[in-house]
Amino acid sequence: MSDIRLEGVTKRYGTFAAAEEVDLSVTQGEFVTILGPSGSGKTTLLSLIAGLNRPTSGRIFIGGRDVTNATAQERNIGLVFQSYALFPHMTVLQNVLFPLGVRKIGGAEADRLARDALKLVRLDGLENRRPSQLSGGQQQRVALARAVVFKPDILLLDEPLGALDRKLREELQVELKQLQRTLGVTTLLVTHDQEEALSLSDRIMVLDKGRTQQVAAPTEAYLRPANRFVAEFLGIANFVGLPDGRQGLVRPERVRLSTNGAANDSGKPAKIVEAIYLGQMVRYHLALEGAQSIVAAVPFLGTAHVPGEQVTVSWESADIWPVT
Amino acid sequence: MKRRTFVGAAASLPAVSILSGTARAQSKEIRMIESGGASGESIQKGYIDPLFQKTGIKVVRESPSSLGKLRALVESGQTSTTLFELGSGIVLQAKKLGLIEKMDWAAINPAPMFPEAKNEYGFGYSYFSTIMAWRKGAKEPQNFTEFFDSKAFPGKRCLPDFPHYCLPFALQAAGVPIDKLFPLDVDLAFKKLNEVKKDVAVWWKAGAQPPQLMKDNEVQYSICWSGRVVGDPAFGLSFAGGKADLSFIAVVKGSKPEDKAAANKLFYEMSLPENQAKAAEVISYTGPSPELDALLPKDKLWQFPTSKQNKAVQYFENAEWWAENGEAVNKKWEAFKLSL
Amino acid sequence: MTGSGIRFIAPLLVLMVVAFNAPIVYMLGLAFWEKGRGFTLEHYEGLLETPVYLRVLGNTMRIALIATIANVVIGYPLAHWMRGLGSRARMIAIALVVLPFWVSILVRTYAWIVVLGNGGLVNRFLQWTGLTDAPVSFLYNELGVTIGMANVLLPFLVLPLFATMIRIDDRLLQAAASLGAPPRTIFWKVYFPLTLPALAAGALLVFILCLGFYVTPAVLGGGRVPMISNLLDTLINQIPRWEQASAISTILLIVTLLIFAAYRRLDRKASA
Repeated sequence: MSDIRLEGVTKRYGTFAAAEEVDLSVTQGEFVTILGPSGSGKTTLLSLIAGLNRPTSGRIFIGGRDVTNATAQERNIGLVFQSYALFPHMTVLQNVLFPLGVRKIGGAEADRLARDALKLVRLDGLENRRPSQLSGGQQQRVALARAVVFKPDILLLDEPLGALDRKLREELQVELKQLQRTLGVTTLLVTHDQEEALSLSDRIMVLDKGRTQQVAAPTEAYLRPANRFVAEFLGIANFVGLPDGRQGLVRPERVRLSTNGAANDSGKPAKIVEAIYLGQMVRYHLALEGAQSIVAAVPFLGTAHVPGEQVTVSWESADIWPVT
Repeated sequence: MKRRTFVGAAASLPAVSILSGTARAQSKEIRMIESGGASGESIQKGYIDPLFQKTGIKVVRESPSSLGKLRALVESGQTSTTLFELGSGIVLQAKKLGLIEKMDWAAINPAPMFPEAKNEYGFGYSYFSTIMAWRKGAKEPQNFTEFFDSKAFPGKRCLPDFPHYCLPFALQAAGVPIDKLFPLDVDLAFKKLNEVKKDVAVWWKAGAQPPQLMKDNEVQYSICWSGRVVGDPAFGLSFAGGKADLSFIAVVKGSKPEDKAAANKLFYEMSLPENQAKAAEVISYTGPSPELDALLPKDKLWQFPTSKQNKAVQYFENAEWWAENGEAVNKKWEAFKLSL
Repeated sequence: MTGSGIRFIAPLLVLMVVAFNAPIVYMLGLAFWEKGRGFTLEHYEGLLETPVYLRVLGNTMRIALIATIANVVIGYPLAHWMRGLGSRARMIAIALVVLPFWVSILVRTYAWIVVLGNGGLVNRFLQWTGLTDAPVSFLYNELGVTIGMANVLLPFLVLPLFATMIRIDDRLLQAAASLGAPPRTIFWKVYFPLTLPALAAGALLVFILCLGFYVTPAVLGGGRVPMISNLLDTLINQIPRWEQASAISTILLIVTLLIFAAYRRLDRKASA
């Protein structure tokens, strides 16, 4: 188990900067997610940490050791791809034994370690199957077992749940979190899925165009984003004008709706444009005066407003976060 | 069976057959399969073109000819091809296998021919020789004993990949005179070949190979067909001990009577010495007319297989012996080739 | 659906059977059938009595095997190298590999005489550099035949192998590296096993094509490298002993089918 530290890591392809002066510090046992839209440089960053690529400048430390110029083999990293990258010609057990064999661990000990790892991801009994005989979720579990069986210093996950359908993804998110907690392994996850990032991570790092936008705990980044990009990338953002001329962020679930006129001083009249039923919540798209639109998310308590209805929207001033 | 008796009967009654030959319908176009290359051109220029001018009968040529092809033609029952070129030994095999018709010499009524060319089953139309040749500049052998002596005559050899060529030459090298070659002493021939095989770089299958290999200096000495090397200043050659052989054209079994009638017209053209002289302009092989020598250019007589000076020093292929022993010798030949 | 499919394909099937399969069955039957006498095994007995034909068959197998191995040794690294090229360079490399397909096999074979002959490019270079005094005999022996056959058949091995290699996901190799495997282990434990079925299939194809090669042994072997197709040519076109040729062909076919069956077994085991 180790910590990870990036210092001014930059990767350029010609004049294009895939990563620019990125600093990051992940403490031992922490679960950090690198979040960003596609093309933001998050996978580049992961491949630099994994040693599949060399940075143009900057340094990378794992467990205090400078691994900037170390090969992937020398870094002792567990790596999981979105495409699973299981060896198709080996059985499940042979796949999990592979990193042990490379480390000259064989015989009964290797067998025990591999079976333990498979038990951990609830795949015991499928040892002799081939990857092609497994479902996507099972394959990703094999990949996880293979990535942790040799007790890597850190675990790197590249969109590991991206290829799975929604229900399976949510199940595996829970399992992934439990696994990470059980093993206590320092984990770096790369994803473009903000829900996944918010639900799994101790901290998230938001990346755009190769540059760090914010590194913070999920709630912190959600409620107090460092800039407009982070505000818009993490969930739905309403922007309201502030007296000092700046813009203020109000999250939809902080917007209140009422039908009985101005109940408080900041109330504004609005018209329901669209009502989207989401289960526990209803999401309303509203039009304020002056063509400004706003989104509100309100707990569903049996009745809902209908499009065309006139309402009053309001929020507490404490729920406004000024952004630049 | 019926047809054969009919043909036989016709042949035995020349008067009737001549009459019926003129009266019978005659095809305007027949097909011939020949061995291709310059010899095919010589057939065109020497015989087919004059036939067309005189009678309007067209002969369409195809190549190459092999006994296998003839067998396939006859066994499939087709009648589109009437004429087929065959080597002297092959005529006997084809006759044995029932693949060719008897010739109707009475109907052809040819100009005078050498007797061996007037075969019961084929028209011997072209004499060719298989002789020794060498790259200019190499030491010149006088006979086959010298030709195979690589100590005195250093250089690589190129020999035909056919036993009926190699064996008689090997026997000459072992000291057998050309009039005592047949019946062949097969064991002695292979013994001699085993002695010289290390000097043989290439065993050729196609007649174009030896001159090219000598030009490229891959080999210095070859046994090859005379028509491929005479007249080319890059080579020296000698007819001494060479093999004179005759190519035949035969009538494919089951051919239609009207096609045969047209074929007989072509055979007649082939017997005329003036046509044979035209053919000899294309390739230095000669036709079967005893009067041909007089029509050939005097300065080129030495190039032709049948000119007096050359005919005397060569032996003539013994097709009967090969028809008897060919298959057994061939097995030994394959075994010999495996030992190379 | 299947019913109507059969209807559409039927004329082709009939053509295949009549024009292709029936003559082969007829040829194979010749070895067992003597006109007027019915069933016979004498042509096979003839083969056993004169083992020279079987020895030619054995010789053919040996040369085919050598040519196949040469093909594998050249073709595998070539295909692997092509996989690593950029897309433009890859296109050029494929074109260069396929180019010989568009040239007559006879021309390609004669081209080797220009390159490898006594006065050829290679020998002139060797003598110019002083590495040898006398020309080296590349041609008119088994070496020449092997070089010629390897050249002619190389695309048959390289193209399917290359197609398999470019389908191997780079991430598979990266995963192996991240799991701690050194390059040699990655190659032998991951990359090579994944290309093995294509390699085996390509090598088998090359081997079977080698068995039937005619032009190249005839020209580059200088008649000194007896192969089965040249023997069959003699038996079919010159002697002609079709019955004997048919018996040899039957044995050749059976041996080829046995090799193919063995390969299928291995392949199924490997992918089971």
